[in-house]
Amino acid sequence: MRNDDPALADLSEVADAIAARRITSVAATEACLARIESWQPRTNAFLRLDEAKALARAKAMDAELAAGRRRGPLHGVPMAHKDMYYRKGELSTGGSAIRRDWRAPVTATVLQKLDAAGVVELGFLNMAEFAAGPTGHNVHHGHCRNPWDSKRVTGGSSSGSGASVAARMVYGALGSDTGGSIRLPASACGVVGMKATYGRVSRAGALARSWSLDHVGPLTRTVRDNARLLGAIAGHDPEDSTTSEKPVPDYEALLEGGVSGIRIGLALPNDGPASLDAEVGAAVQAAADALGKLGARITPVILPDFTALYRAAEVIAKCEAAAMHRPWLEKTPDAYANQVRTRMEAGFFIPATQYIDALRLRGHFVKEFLAAAMDSVDAVVLPAIPFPIPTIEETDVEAKGGPATLNMVGRFTGLTRPFNTLGVPALSVPCGFDSNGAPIGMQLVGRPFDEALLYRIGHAYQGATEFHKRVPA
Amino acid sequence: MDEKTRTAAGIAAGLQGLTYDDKRLAELAAEVKTLNDAVREAGAKRLTFDDDPFTFASLLERETKK
Repeated sequence: MRNDDPALADLSEVADAIAARRITSVAATEACLARIESWQPRTNAFLRLDEAKALARAKAMDAELAAGRRRGPLHGVPMAHKDMYYRKGELSTGGSAIRRDWRAPVTATVLQKLDAAGVVELGFLNMAEFAAGPTGHNVHHGHCRNPWDSKRVTGGSSSGSGASVAARMVYGALGSDTGGSIRLPASACGVVGMKATYGRVSRAGALARSWSLDHVGPLTRTVRDNARLLGAIAGHDPEDSTTSEKPVPDYEALLEGGVSGIRIGLALPNDGPASLDAEVGAAVQAAADALGKLGARITPVILPDFTALYRAAEVIAKCEAAAMHRPWLEKTPDAYANQVRTRMEAGFFIPATQYIDALRLRGHFVKEFLAAAMDSVDAVVLPAIPFPIPTIEETDVEAKGGPATLNMVGRFTGLTRPFNTLGVPALSVPCGFDSNGAPIGMQLVGRPFDEALLYRIGHAYQGATEFHKRVPA
Repeated sequence: MDEKTRTAAGIAAGLQGLTYDDKRLAELAAEVKTLNDAVREAGAKRLTFDDDPFTFASLLERETKK
């Protein structure tokens, strides 16, 4: 490990150190708890922390290891998750006031998998109310704050996941992504986030934002860590009929090999739902140049017009959200933040034919994207957030409102939401810092179920760059 | 109140059992028109009788790495 504080080690490093008994799970957990004590007041990343339970679990994992039983590559590793993964009998707020005291009737499949893998759960993390919001604002539980600059947003909706991983409070965290909610906080906080192919990870027992567009996935400090964590949670689940029966590759074993000869399309879109800031464009161009120096063949690609695709995603999300929230919207509308409630209401007015057509269009959009953008390349690189990270005040729709603020918030997802409609995998990797000192992230997008290639490219990039090694002070 | 807004008012009160003020109804009508138009135009160029929403998942399964 790189220095004396085990909390600063990567997930893979600490997991391997626990396995080799160079450190105990209890020591790793205590190191995380010390970081949380220091960073929680500055970030508000945690909604609930259970120190006693975490330490007892860590002690049990150490005892198992001492008895010769290692559950796998995550044995004894402390993590925490977005507060939307259900654990039977325990609170699960979904970042809302409505479910502040609600206890889950089931345990999410992904948590069951992490339990079986020997993960130590520290608690649950802040998030946008009902996973609806790209910035990290939360009027009910307090805004989550970016560890790089507490005046700036974390990105959302997996705000606490991004902040806690970046501040080294946890080694990894689960987020969810309906329009960018893993990749936006990963980009804004300078960590790695994977939205895998739709159907790769079970959504069972995860609070839904939009069943057709929701993706469960990990946020970590490095690509290697992310590959390890996705490998633990991916796979078919009888509880989620939309999961694929394709075998899950050993992503970590496929990381090496470099990028020599891999064809990567560079997309720096300047029109459509999100126009690109020059500073962000330059950082992503530099990342493509770095991959080129490693042997990748970089060629410019033109993405199809995302406007129709973006609108189709809005139709799907609004209709599904309005349907699931109807009882609360009718009985307790004031229990929602205004911007959360108003984003759903159009769903009551959109004809069912339009909703069904939006779903029917997805197949066409996938074919068009693969033909237009990926016919001659293996992956596409593009920015995650098209502008430098704004402040919490600049993007406070609830307090400030107004067209300029709404426009900026809307642009957050301009380059991420299309890939939820398409269902293809998209990995956010840190690739620089803006002039305010806040991180910049790039997305690597691939063909369906080609997560392994995206990890391989991201891993090669991190082997040649240092952005992911910087730690907020 | 324009025609779109009147339609939205009718859907809210008559079909959905929801109450909104005129300003909000006008906003919703404009938002829904933008979304409907986008889907209708995209669909007119692409959709045929045989397009099934469930082909999306099978397409992802099929369109893996070549």
